[in-house]
Amino acid sequence: MSRGIAVLAQNLDSVDYVEQACILAMSLHATNPNSRISIITNDIVPEDYISLFDKVIPIPFGDSAKDSEWKIENRWKIYHASPYEETLVLDTDMLILQDISFWWEFLSQYELYFTSKVLTYRGEAVTSDYYRKTFTANKLPNLYTGAHYFKKTKFSREFYNWMEIITQNWELFYGKFAKENYPGRPSMDVTAAITAKILDCESEITNNKTSFPSFTHMKSQIQNWSNPKSSWQDCVGTYITRNCEIKIGNHLQTGILHYTEDSFVTDTIINRYRLLLNV
Amino acid sequence: MSKGAILIARNNGNIDYVKQSVFLAKRIQHYLEIPVSIITDSEEYLKLNFDYTVFDQIISIPYNETANTRAYNDGTLFYKTADFKNDIRHEVYNLTPYNETLLLDTDYIIANDLLSSCFNSNNDLMLFKSSEDVAKVRNEKEFDYVSDYSIEFYWATVVFFRKTQQNEIFFDLISHIYKNWKHYTRIYQIDSPLFRNDFAFSIAIHIMNGFQKGNFAQPLPGKHLYTTDRDILWNLKDDKMLFLVEKKNYLGEYTAIKTIGQNIHVMNKFSLEREIDRVNNE
Repeated sequence: MSRGIAVLAQNLDSVDYVEQACILAMSLHATNPNSRISIITNDIVPEDYISLFDKVIPIPFGDSAKDSEWKIENRWKIYHASPYEETLVLDTDMLILQDISFWWEFLSQYELYFTSKVLTYRGEAVTSDYYRKTFTANKLPNLYTGAHYFKKTKFSREFYNWMEIITQNWELFYGKFAKENYPGRPSMDVTAAITAKILDCESEITNNKTSFPSFTHMKSQIQNWSNPKSSWQDCVGTYITRNCEIKIGNHLQTGILHYTEDSFVTDTIINRYRLLLNV
Repeated sequence: MSKGAILIARNNGNIDYVKQSVFLAKRIQHYLEIPVSIITDSEEYLKLNFDYTVFDQIISIPYNETANTRAYNDGTLFYKTADFKNDIRHEVYNLTPYNETLLLDTDYIIANDLLSSCFNSNNDLMLFKSSEDVAKVRNEKEFDYVSDYSIEFYWATVVFFRKTQQNEIFFDLISHIYKNWKHYTRIYQIDSPLFRNDFAFSIAIHIMNGFQKGNFAQPLPGKHLYTTDRDILWNLKDDKMLFLVEKKNYLGEYTAIKTIGQNIHVMNKFSLEREIDRVNNE
């Protein structure tokens, strides 16, 4: 069984998501040296970073997000583009900070797996629904697509087919399944949750009793702070060692860090990884 | 294995920690049935004014002044500023005569035998992490974390420890944190420059846990119940305590709360001393 990570990156004028994917790839190689990662993109991957990727794959079926601000219209294509039989899909704004090879054994019990429990930088389970009012109000499964897994099976394909249909007709489906706290724009998390509801398969695709696979979700309002600021980086400092261990607010980060703020990627972080991996 | 309790008493002219220690030592002997030693800079005062035979050992330390001062409330309407001599706690590892030590603040009033189970535990270091304000009208979140963005809070009020290599490193680390307090207040986002043992112990536990959640320190049995110095200990008889606790939004008014058989951290030291005097004069 081939196993690997797939990441879809489409640059905006203001954000270099390909560069984020490259840093993610470096973080993978720093902690999981024998792992594979492929990038799905129509943008140019800088020469220095190409060797980090197992495959550079063009976005299939044309670019459905040409005129889109959020570029999520192509996300359902990851299923079709992934070269692996078992794929862990990650957002570009993530770093892998520990050996996650043992996750595969857990994940392979599932055909499709989404985490429904994410963590604060202090390692506590996130309990706030500040950013997930739609989920609470409409009783949608609390799925996070930022890090999810699929095996190429009939069931996963059906799930992704529904994701495609909902993405292309999001107003219709959101109007039916997410009318309370209606999201003003499409979201992969909401789309996945609606799909799970339609297929009535929540218990088959998530498990809120396990502490992994999960990720640390660095959105400011869900860190159990009494006085959060709009940017989490205004509340706590980040430290990165020469071995690319990262501390946020003096808490050593492990697992997968979803840093969420593009300004987190500084030259210091990039250079530390480049030096460590000789890239 | 020798075992016992340790109390620290360094008077400051306004608060008589020696008096509190003698009172608490008797209660520890009654409820926990273990010997009690005192670390004090006032040995002569102790011997002249109190029944010092209550102590297993008197460990004398030199008297010194401190630049650390803080306000001590006596209810909601009165306070005094006095010296805050709290810079010896990290040396207890070396000063204690016991292999298994229960270190207590002198204002932690024992009223049951729960803490005696520490000595039968496999855990070599135990402190309270979760706590409950008896008054239930104040923000208890301030004791969840050292500060809003910082690490988990542990109480240094009651500490059980065994002499182990790890605990020696732990106490050395607290000593290092004390000596470099300004630096640690910055990196742990502590607003006040005042050295606090609760904070120093919390930082040391966090470091010993590898800067993550961990199990280096285990919770003490029971729950850390406390009244702040804005409350008043009104009556203390055997295992019963009557408090007047601050009433929210009614300055100077209080609600009466009675506890039976509960260990309570009585932070209003003035009212505690008044009660000790009354009990002693009965």
